[in-house]
Amino acid sequence: MLEHYPKEIMTKDGIPILIRPFTKDDQERLRQFFSRIPEEESWFIRDDISDPDVMDKWIQDPDYSRTIPLIAVKQEDGTIVGNVMLHMRLSECLSHVAHLRILIDPEYRRRRLGTWMLIDAIKLAMDIGLEKLVAEFVEGVDDAAMAAAQRLDFFEQDVLRGYLKDRHGRYRDLVIMVKNFHRDWSDF
Amino acid sequence: MNRGSSNENISDGSRGAFPFETDRGRITINPKCPPGSFEGLSLEAGLGNFAHYSSIIQKLEIFEKVASGKDGRVALALFHENIIVGYMVCWYPDSTDRWRKLGELMYEFGAIEVSRNFRKLGIAAKMVTSALRDDFFDEKISYMNGFSWHWDVDGSGLTLLQYRKMMLNFMKPFGFEEYYTNEPNIALRQENLFMARIGSRVSEEDKLRFRNLRFGIVNRK
Repeated sequence: MLEHYPKEIMTKDGIPILIRPFTKDDQERLRQFFSRIPEEESWFIRDDISDPDVMDKWIQDPDYSRTIPLIAVKQEDGTIVGNVMLHMRLSECLSHVAHLRILIDPEYRRRRLGTWMLIDAIKLAMDIGLEKLVAEFVEGVDDAAMAAAQRLDFFEQDVLRGYLKDRHGRYRDLVIMVKNFHRDWSDF
Repeated sequence: MNRGSSNENISDGSRGAFPFETDRGRITINPKCPPGSFEGLSLEAGLGNFAHYSSIIQKLEIFEKVASGKDGRVALALFHENIIVGYMVCWYPDSTDRWRKLGELMYEFGAIEVSRNFRKLGIAAKMVTSALRDDFFDEKISYMNGFSWHWDVDGSGLTLLQYRKMMLNFMKPFGFEEYYTNEPNIALRQENLFMARIGSRVSEEDKLRFRNLRFGIVNRK
């Protein structure tokens, strides 16, 4: 499933990056990466990424049939600058769907890294036989990621108005975007 | 494309034609057909125009043109000695192509196709294997564009995504891997594939030039 990694990409300004699954050796760098995600954003992440036990579980006990964790690593010094998680359910009725979550180091935004990570997640999803990718975005927080997803054919499936509360107690919309993988070309 | 289950002895294909037996009869692979060798050949009926799919090469003149070009390579799979049931064509990229910016370092596997009536016999694998025995490829970055609009999904019975995976798995044993690129034609569809094989004598500097060019960067070390 992950035998084709690592994948090499470059940011828009020419910084070489490797995308690969994370390993036990990445724990400290992953912790540093998560610490650079602004609190306004990490607030909305369902897993508590500041909790060492959560990270420990991902790293020590990876279950790729449920979660595929990918990171973007700067080739020059090994700094982690992006993370994509594909979450799958074991139940058969949802075995064709994965939920995607993407986080990019603030310093590496607007440099096409997020787009490459989304493309990589899409190709991986295709290669493991998924039919749908679902991504949830917080309106007003994840707007750039939403725009990138839209350019890659994710469409807005639904909006849960005022579903989330930010850390100041303000209600936020949750936008659910879906990408379908078509089995063939249309006959039009 | 299927590697087939048999593993017959292949003579040194870079030097000459060799036959192999299949369930459909004897097929002869000619790994490198010289210019002028296409007269009297014909394309088998499973190569041509179909409802949702057309063969990339449908005229013998194209083979002649490829074989006559600099380092052009045409490999043919022949049935009854003169019926083409499969072909592989390779060439240097066109002058308008992004990959031409690396001169003759890049070498394209332009098309590999087997007749609908002769698939799953290992013909494509024989053509690729015999070609790659040539030292020529050690100094090249061989590449292949997998454009999904060329794929015979109807004839293969595969979906686009299954076809993509089949191509990845087919080319991997020959040293081809998927590389990401922002080359516009590849980027047009997410299922499209850009696969490359870096020859054993390609320098580190050329590997870097290739990496940079994949993302549209020229002349940077």
